[in-house]
Amino acid sequence: MATLEQRQAVEELVYRTCLALDARDWSTFLDLCDPAFRYTISTYSPEIRKDMIWLDHSKDGMTTLFTNLPKHNSDHSPLTRHVTVYTVDVNDAKGEADVVSALQVFKTALDGGATELFAVGRFHDTVKLSGGSSRLLRRNVRLDTRLLGFGYHIPF
Amino acid sequence: MAKTAADWAARPKFPATHYVDSRIYTDDAILAEEREKLFRPSWIIACHESEVPNAFDYRLCTHPAGVPLIVVRGDDSKVRTFYNICPHRGNTILYDPAGNAKRMTCIFHQWSFDTRGSCVDISRSEQGYQDRYGTEDAGLREVRTEVAHGGFVWVNLDDGAMSLREFVGDALDILEPYMQEPMEVFHFHKAVVQTNFKLWHDTNSEFYHDYLHYFNRITGMLQPGYFERKYTAFPNGHATVGSMSIQYDKYEGSKERAVGWPGLAPGGWYMVDLFPGMTYNLRTSVMRIDTSTPLGPNKVLIEFRGLGLKRDTPAERAQRVFDHNTIWGPFGRNLHEDLLGVHGQGRAMREGTDSRWVIQGREEGSTIHDEVGMRHYYAEWSRRMGRPSYDPDAKGKPARAAA
Repeated sequence: MATLEQRQAVEELVYRTCLALDARDWSTFLDLCDPAFRYTISTYSPEIRKDMIWLDHSKDGMTTLFTNLPKHNSDHSPLTRHVTVYTVDVNDAKGEADVVSALQVFKTALDGGATELFAVGRFHDTVKLSGGSSRLLRRNVRLDTRLLGFGYHIPF
Repeated sequence: MAKTAADWAARPKFPATHYVDSRIYTDDAILAEEREKLFRPSWIIACHESEVPNAFDYRLCTHPAGVPLIVVRGDDSKVRTFYNICPHRGNTILYDPAGNAKRMTCIFHQWSFDTRGSCVDISRSEQGYQDRYGTEDAGLREVRTEVAHGGFVWVNLDDGAMSLREFVGDALDILEPYMQEPMEVFHFHKAVVQTNFKLWHDTNSEFYHDYLHYFNRITGMLQPGYFERKYTAFPNGHATVGSMSIQYDKYEGSKERAVGWPGLAPGGWYMVDLFPGMTYNLRTSVMRIDTSTPLGPNKVLIEFRGLGLKRDTPAERAQRVFDHNTIWGPFGRNLHEDLLGVHGQGRAMREGTDSRWVIQGREEGSTIHDEVGMRHYYAEWSRRMGRPSYDPDAKGKPARAAA
């Protein structure tokens, strides 16, 4: 069971990662991640009845992904990540917390500003607890939505 | 110099074989005709055999002509395909996109069918139909089905159409040596894009748009051998492009694809585009298959499959998945760019935009930036539709000459 302080710290970390990604502030996002950070997007396909991984990177891999973005042609519609932290389970012996959050991603068109629901899913995070400087150790974005139109270059 | 309205409307300064009227991408009547003349008599990939590995496994799909289908492996291990339409009141029989069912039972009135398409039970049959109608009258509509060319399940709605062998011809010969081992689907996703299905096939049929892809420029276009890749056209509108060695390590964050593919040279890459909307794409360590289903003149559903080898170790499979996702997943570098490209075409060509022509005029000795692949496709399109793609109103005109 997480203490109130632990839960507050974890919630703030999760929300700050979303704010940083929404703002395309890659360095702030990466600063919130542990050096051993692992980021995964996964989903289940009822069509082929298999779990699928759609993206899987270390912190270095995420850094490169962000660095290469300006070289690619991408949809520039901004995303807004709405997250609600559901559960925080602390493992005191490991100094980590397993965190499950609901995720909704909205996309807003640059021309006219229409907003559409882009994806729903959950964050399954592991947070390395370290007093006032907790860091994200693992994030598995477990998507329910699998129809993403022409896709997107920036992870959720 | 910018163009006047008259200049804009004038036919391009190319032979008629080297451009198309953009109305073929926006016209409802043309799409209805395409469903009948292109898709219905063609052999279409419905799924892969690895999606129905066991007896009674089924997989639903919608044929590009619009017919809902059930692909099912029978008790005898044979893969068959049926309409997913109950012969009683026309209801959907199966709903989940995949599953296992010894009996396929319509939830509406509990009529039940076996995996060979025979009706095995009609609820309260004798009371209602007496001896006027029975299970022997109520079989499912079976669709011609073959498992071939890498274990894909091919279907054809037209009982009188040419054989799969005749339809494919030699087009897949270039890939057959690399499809001798059983493969397995590890990735599947769909994309619905506001564009015409042919524009997606065009993107798969020309490499001039490698300028769109930083990844392809750095790992391919700037490397030796790129401009030597040549197109080969085959009967029935199919085409392929030769291989080269992709230098994956030239892209920061990427590296040489060590896992490779049996028999394929390191960095090898073969593509075969099959009329009217399918593509085999073997890129070093992963086989990708695209299949397109038109949902409207300016709306297409594309299904993407990624395949590895059935015998992959977990480490090999993980590497293939990583390689696939780097460029081809929904968050991959190239697929997003390609889909943005055809989405942009859909925006510019939708009804009422005064888009007039699409030029396919590059001639470079059938090498990689030659647009002969598209020209070959539209020659077949014109032949089957009985109207030239450069002038779709001219029904009955002789079809275009071969590209």
